[in-house]
Amino acid sequence: MKRTLTVCPYCGTGCMFYLVSDNGRLVGVEPSSSHPVSRGGLCVKGWNAFAFVHHPERLTTPLIRKNGTLEPASWDEALDLVVARLTQIQRQHGADSVMFASSAKATNEENYLLMKLARAVFQTNNIDHCARLCHSSTVTGLAETFGSGAMTNTISCIDETDVIFVIGSNTTEQHPLIGSRIMNAVRSGTRLIVADNRRIRLARQADLHLRHTNGSDVPLLCGMMHVIIAEGLADTKFITTRTENYAALAESVADWTPERSAAETGLEAADIIAAARLYAGAERAMIFYSMGITQHSHGVDNVRCVASLAMLTGNIGRPGTGVNPLRGQNNVQGGCDMGALPDLYSGYQKVSDPENRQKFATAWRVPALPASPGLPLTRAMDAASEGKLFALFVMGENPLISDPDQHHARRALENLELLVVQDIFLTETAALAHVVLPAACYAEKEGTFTNTERRVQHLCKAVEPPGEAKTDGEIICAMAKKAGYDGMSYASQSEVMAEIASLTPSYGGISYDRLAPHGMPWPCPTPEHPGTPILHHEQFTRGRGHFSPVSHSLPREQTDADYPLVLTTGRTYFHWHTGTMTRRTHLLDREEPTSFLELHPDDAARLSIRHRDRLLVTSRRGSIQTEARVTTMVIPGVVFMPFHFAEGAANCLTNNVLDPESSIPEFKVCAVRLEKLP
Amino acid sequence: MRDTTPCNSLYIPFDCEITAITDLTPREKLFRLIRSDGTPLGHLPGQFVQLSLLGWGEAPLSIASSPTREGYFELGVRQAGQLTTALHRMKVGETVGVRGPFGRPFDLEALNGEDVLLISGGCGLAPLRSLIQYCEDRPQQFGRVTILHGAKSPADTLFKEELARWEASAEFACHLTVDSATGNDCFTGNVGLITSLIPPLTITPHRTTAVIIGPPVMYRAVIAELKGKGLGSDRIVVSLERQMRCGVGKCGHCTIEHLYCCQDGPVFRLDEIEQLRGAL
Amino acid sequence: MKQLTPHELEQFLSHLAVRYELRLPILLADGTRTIGSPDDGSVVLHGGAVPGKPTAAFFPQQDTIFTASQGTFSQTLPPVKPLCILGFTPADLHCLRFIDRFFGDGMRDDLYFRLRQGAVVAGITGYCGVRGALLPPAGGNCDFELFWSGENWLVRAYGATGAELVAELPNQATPKEEELFTQALATAPDSGAILLQTASQLLRTNRVPDSFWEEIGERCIACTGCNVTCPTCTCFGVLDWRSATKVERSRTWDSCQLDGFMREASGHNPLGSAALRSRRRIHHKLAADPLKWGEISCFRCGRCDATCPTGIGIMAVAQELVARFG
Repeated sequence: MKRTLTVCPYCGTGCMFYLVSDNGRLVGVEPSSSHPVSRGGLCVKGWNAFAFVHHPERLTTPLIRKNGTLEPASWDEALDLVVARLTQIQRQHGADSVMFASSAKATNEENYLLMKLARAVFQTNNIDHCARLCHSSTVTGLAETFGSGAMTNTISCIDETDVIFVIGSNTTEQHPLIGSRIMNAVRSGTRLIVADNRRIRLARQADLHLRHTNGSDVPLLCGMMHVIIAEGLADTKFITTRTENYAALAESVADWTPERSAAETGLEAADIIAAARLYAGAERAMIFYSMGITQHSHGVDNVRCVASLAMLTGNIGRPGTGVNPLRGQNNVQGGCDMGALPDLYSGYQKVSDPENRQKFATAWRVPALPASPGLPLTRAMDAASEGKLFALFVMGENPLISDPDQHHARRALENLELLVVQDIFLTETAALAHVVLPAACYAEKEGTFTNTERRVQHLCKAVEPPGEAKTDGEIICAMAKKAGYDGMSYASQSEVMAEIASLTPSYGGISYDRLAPHGMPWPCPTPEHPGTPILHHEQFTRGRGHFSPVSHSLPREQTDADYPLVLTTGRTYFHWHTGTMTRRTHLLDREEPTSFLELHPDDAARLSIRHRDRLLVTSRRGSIQTEARVTTMVIPGVVFMPFHFAEGAANCLTNNVLDPESSIPEFKVCAVRLEKLP
Repeated sequence: MRDTTPCNSLYIPFDCEITAITDLTPREKLFRLIRSDGTPLGHLPGQFVQLSLLGWGEAPLSIASSPTREGYFELGVRQAGQLTTALHRMKVGETVGVRGPFGRPFDLEALNGEDVLLISGGCGLAPLRSLIQYCEDRPQQFGRVTILHGAKSPADTLFKEELARWEASAEFACHLTVDSATGNDCFTGNVGLITSLIPPLTITPHRTTAVIIGPPVMYRAVIAELKGKGLGSDRIVVSLERQMRCGVGKCGHCTIEHLYCCQDGPVFRLDEIEQLRGAL
Repeated sequence: MKQLTPHELEQFLSHLAVRYELRLPILLADGTRTIGSPDDGSVVLHGGAVPGKPTAAFFPQQDTIFTASQGTFSQTLPPVKPLCILGFTPADLHCLRFIDRFFGDGMRDDLYFRLRQGAVVAGITGYCGVRGALLPPAGGNCDFELFWSGENWLVRAYGATGAELVAELPNQATPKEEELFTQALATAPDSGAILLQTASQLLRTNRVPDSFWEEIGERCIACTGCNVTCPTCTCFGVLDWRSATKVERSRTWDSCQLDGFMREASGHNPLGSAALRSRRRIHHKLAADPLKWGEISCFRCGRCDATCPTGIGIMAVAQELVARFG
């Protein structure tokens, strides 16, 4: 019986637990009783995080497509083929004809290595990962306003705040241990405002529940800021000493009267006023947000408004305050930190800056690095379907299910000359690949994950990978070697971290020996530095906080006679994204075995739809079948679907329109119609 | 895992061979099984087995045939989940795993000499059939036997031929109804809920026992009708469906407060359970 | 009664390790305690109950029922060396006694007894609870107990196996130590026991309205931690893993707090709301089990209260329930 302290592979909360193994086989999970976030608890996914690891469908050998079918191959054969094809395609179509999709499920080290492989070995900045789909608007919006696109405060700050404002985050389901902290705070007297038109659990416990229409976050937040300024609730001292461009913001919200805001959001003016007073009246107030803010064609504008609201009231830089984007994936913070992004090296160092390029080129011992930013993942699909991108290397992602407009994604993937997928199971995307590389899962490797509060935590290996599967890091380094690059052989993952630290100021002081037992939050510039739980304490990362006024735009697709309902998508508590792991976990899959659509009883009555009826859901992009769930969770006119299920895939319907600045797709709003199936 | 060896366990199924498969409705099939080692299953009416398909798990299924029909046992199976879908794809001659029989059967002793009123709705007829067949084979043990059956529609009616035989039989009174029928069904029988069959009956409460098996929504309504006829809770018997995973009182999935449906039931006298939350 | 110095205890343990696979409370890297092998962490007997389910030793979170390959079933054999587990608190020993009865009653659960049969269980009691609090003597329910007097471990054996194991220990406890043990044994039942009895009574007389369970259900995030850590929770689910060459059937801890726990293929669910499921969780321990087994099946080990992220472990709920309806 062996116990290995490691990090949960599911959400960005970053709970730590012990994997219990017996003779090389996982048999259970025990929470870390002293972890600062999970404090001896776990959610249902955490308690079951061991259960998919030895599933018989794990990939155990490389696969190469021969005559249309994927057949087992040796590592040498597979990697030779991948490198040869990539090189050949680049020779024929240019360096930027290939793209690397990194993974927010992989470790910091592996994200760094793939980024290095793309840039140093294959000389392209075409590297991105699924942060593009979740918080790219945060990275863009908060970098502009604060200088750092990460959660400003700690999860423990929940215990010392007076007001919590949750907008566009179903926290108890998506970050259960954070949601629980919020629930506990509310029971001990913290006031809670929830802005979300689904009647989520936190909404049911809130002092104020604002069910604003989908995509009307800018009117809501501007209305609140209008009230705060008009009623003299703004923190003028903070504004003068810590920020810039306030006048422009004040002007931009001047005509966002509560009445106008109410008209745009579908709320009562009195509720907008009450929310503004409650938030601004608090000594310490925290904002939590997530995909409800970011996944819009104006996602960056939403983020700017959130940042402005916090700065306007001085709720930044102190315990119990802050702008707190809850990061979805266990290591999506780390994926971004490591520069698995088309325009940034690790630590958010711009590739467009020649000094940065020189620094990385020198360290990586290559003559030069590409200067122009690469493709965002979401634009890569367009490029592939237009025949401008020829090869895609996917590490641990399943874009066929997770990307918007599935038909478009499928066309794009099928159009590629080379699709390589490195994963732990044969995902829907892997099934389309020319080469499939079997990877080790979280329990089978060492590395670090960075959680939503920027806490870099140590992932430890509990069991061996199945068959011939290798860690993502080993595979990447082997590819580099095959490609003739000798700068990627490491004796251990801690060596990779040392290289990361040497090149990444915010990780400068991070090394494995400092991470026991529960990690430390970046920025941590030097080996003596204790880490930084709260950002922007005395000044913002960028110096002064910048107020960025926004103009109001509607979601790109509006309802009409043919598509009369708004579809908003999200996740459920029991599944993780495309279900690669959770749908292979007995208890989780039993709990939510199939695709469903939530609709309001009024809409159900109008359409003669009963609970559990089979439905055909159609948008301008496609049709899917699913099951009706009649519930007051949603408001009339809006339906909700989770995107986990390959059968009844919500992303068959979603709209592939992108925020112009961050390239995040508008997952949260599209127009659909429903038909009852016999 | 340590060294393994064949072993005798509560949880290891024995082999049964499928000897016949009959389509009952588009969604339901009747499987006739024999134990591969030739021994009888040894069940009583009202019991169930855990049917095991390797790779698909186990499901509790009521035995639809009476032990008086020797040499085989039958299971009526609706295609609902993965296991039953896999079972529906199987053919005669193939082997399935079985554990059991489990559970408390109908109290045949208590029914001795009684008028019995056998009421089923939908696929509740499958488990009740074990008792109906028993009554058919041992008529001397019972007083007057009355069968009431309600189905959703003519097409959803199980065991149509047997129902017709029971309707025609002098031994039984048998009344059938469907919730609804369309013109296409060419249906000439009763249309209405199962409860509509009860008021016309003449019941002698002190020597009648009613047995009810049907979908969850049916019980309360039928019980109310029977009580209206003067039947006490000690003269009403129900069989409850639960998702047993083990059949032997361990897994906990079938508990009704302090009772384990797989051991204390699935057959209960109404007075044993009517005060328990979540029983009906 | 025998007596051991801490050093002699170490010797006694190494002696036991010859015949038994030894498991006892160890301290892990981040300060979490668990029952494990002495090779995997430093042995720390003080500190009271470990946070994990102690009965997992015999009823693991996931356990193979059988492997079937080409028509042959195989099962895991009992361990060559039986387990010897130290570290059960008196409450844990009651839990173990309860589930021994549960798994042995009627159809005997061979998977449980594969590990349980022949295992030695030792309680740890005395002034070695959290911050030196007294864990009252077990007085039974184990093969022997180790009672920390503050200076020495007093060893009391129960039953033949226990007697045989401690027979060779040289030192008898002093009369003063015997007296300390006897005094501790006479400790009155704690307020927690009375609270649960009151709560049980309220539940059994139907004095708790559904609205209460709706409130509790609203606070339950369905993490399943209460069931997963509870030493008397025995519910399990069954799953099959199919590969090209074999099928492996396992059982895994299940939770009555999940909607899928009792949901039937038709969609009907006798426990179809969080309120009903929360009621079941508490009612089962405090009202149903007393009817079936003659005793409340919560022995106040405190694990569900410690792991519950939202503060609705059984003691917290019982307190609320008694305060409002008692």
